[in-house]
Amino acid sequence: MAGETERLSWGELLNPLTMGPIQQLGLLGVAGLFVVPVVAPPIRTIQLAGALFFATWVMSWDFVSGYTGEISFGHALFFGVGGYPSGMLNLHLGVDPWIAAPLGALTAAIAGLLIGFPSLRVKGPYFSLITLVAPLIVISVFRFSPDLTGGELGLVSVGRVEKLSAIGPIPSPGIDPFAGYYLALAIFLLSAVVFIAITRADAGVVFTAIRADEVALAATGKNPAKFKLFAFVVSALVGGFAGAMYGHSIGGFSPSELLALVVSIEVIIAAILGGMGTITGAAVGGIVFHMLRVALRNADTVSIPFTGIEVELVIPLLGVPLGEIYLLLFGLVTLGFLFFLPEGIVPRAGAEWRRRRSPEGEAVPDGGETAGVLAVHAWLDELRDLLGGDRR
Amino acid sequence: MSSEARTDAGSVETDRSFDPDDGLLVAEDLTKRFGGLTAVDDLSFAVREREILGFIGPNGAGKSTTFNCITGRYPPTAGEVYYRGERVTGAPAYEMVTRGLARTFQAFRPFEDRTVLENVRTALVPNELFSTSGLRGETRAEAIELCDRVGLGDALRRMPDELSHAGMLRLELGRAMATEPELLLVDEPFAGLAGSEIEQVSALFEELREAGTTLIVVDHNMRGLLRLIDRAIVISFGELIAEGTPEEIKSDPAVQEAYLGGEV
Repeated sequence: MAGETERLSWGELLNPLTMGPIQQLGLLGVAGLFVVPVVAPPIRTIQLAGALFFATWVMSWDFVSGYTGEISFGHALFFGVGGYPSGMLNLHLGVDPWIAAPLGALTAAIAGLLIGFPSLRVKGPYFSLITLVAPLIVISVFRFSPDLTGGELGLVSVGRVEKLSAIGPIPSPGIDPFAGYYLALAIFLLSAVVFIAITRADAGVVFTAIRADEVALAATGKNPAKFKLFAFVVSALVGGFAGAMYGHSIGGFSPSELLALVVSIEVIIAAILGGMGTITGAAVGGIVFHMLRVALRNADTVSIPFTGIEVELVIPLLGVPLGEIYLLLFGLVTLGFLFFLPEGIVPRAGAEWRRRRSPEGEAVPDGGETAGVLAVHAWLDELRDLLGGDRR
Repeated sequence: MSSEARTDAGSVETDRSFDPDDGLLVAEDLTKRFGGLTAVDDLSFAVREREILGFIGPNGAGKSTTFNCITGRYPPTAGEVYYRGERVTGAPAYEMVTRGLARTFQAFRPFEDRTVLENVRTALVPNELFSTSGLRGETRAEAIELCDRVGLGDALRRMPDELSHAGMLRLELGRAMATEPELLLVDEPFAGLAGSEIEQVSALFEELREAGTTLIVVDHNMRGLLRLIDRAIVISFGELIAEGTPEEIKSDPAVQEAYLGGEV
């Protein structure tokens, strides 16, 4: 027993050579991301930069919803409330993007606090409705002041928002694909480190305990409200910062990029596909989802292996180009995942790997159900409570 | 102020009152209404340090509601709660735990998504946003020791739904003990336990008391409680009907009537 309970030093914890094979594989993947622009054509590099921003948003959603089980249907609110103020500060007041972006992130953090508060009083599904409505309100408000926000079309219709400027020998990330890519990679990795550090530390234990049983958690002396608000603020801060940096580098400031419901939904879908409640699953899911979406959108001449469609990329019978219905396809795939692979790709791959290495079957610490499944179960239990079901 | 009311057991005065300093935990005129239903009605009592107090009443008498009000699950409609002489009425659950009052749940509430060991370890995690004790294995040894103490040493890696009824109770106790309580409130521990299990759990309670913990044991009858408790409070329909030593309670006419000559 003594050997089991010895204290680990930070060096031991963070030494790549002593990590599990799955963690080592993750580090290898990160190393791969550094090399990509060297081997890939510039257009792919830019697309992958977009994927890294998107993956950052997916992680920011997973950090709150995957861990605490407070499912947000409107996380794009934070990307927009981070991005728009930054863009508007630059457009209307001439603030340098390098300064405006952190200010935008702070605005998003405040929004995180405001959205987090109802989660203290309102139960799961009702809270989800609040998060669903909040970005719709913001979009409507934006429509009333097109001089400031550009309304439907975004800031581009008001004027030119500056890109992040060049620093010394490093070219502007808004112009140079390499600079844009490495900026996105830096934000992605920084966010991943923040999210992984917090969720693997004691706070992660408390987050998942909120999902499991908030009343029982309070009975062990933890203040669930404090941890929930913390999760929302950190998630919004990171998501908002990524929103601002995206707008000032490879993207723009428009509702369809930063605020729209479809962005929130895509973020959730990517997290489900990758694996909820894992951060790493969200990261992988985000990158894969974005790249598949790009491939599908541009798929008029290219062949798609798993659909079997060769040249004519028009859905048979309907006559709709494949690129226009990517969300339908992803929706169907997500439905399939929810039924057959609810834990997502990354947790399943990890479980497969462990199973093959020790086929005699070691006890699964989570009882065979993974974070994503549990989050969905908790949410449905709350829904059942609200509707007068028979639990408790 | 009303020490005669507490020593003169059996004849409970209706307008008795306590000072905040009359015990470790003092409830004063505690009332809880749900709509038109009065679940707890003007209830006053004091818990003395290092005693084992039985809190007894028929099913539906308001025992759990009383303690949900005290442990911060929901605020009382009226009345005051004092802990160590300080007013804690309506304080949130986590704060009561920080002050030293832990509880178990009658309907067990384990964290279903993690093992026995992880359940106890979760209770050991501090109420701090930036804490890494678990990551480096510091709380693990403590959690294993607690599991051993409550008799779950062989079930560290089991999931809560794999535990027996007695095992679940032990897990509830282990998790509550992890918060190092001065006052431990145990809600209906003996319901559904076999005789030998009752003895084991009682022994654990006595061990805790020896170590300085005050205990309140809630139960709907006195079976299994008689030898354990020092003193009992009996409530019925949210009101106090008797208070005193187990023997005094047993012979109290009001108590016998409340149970219709039943199982006391």
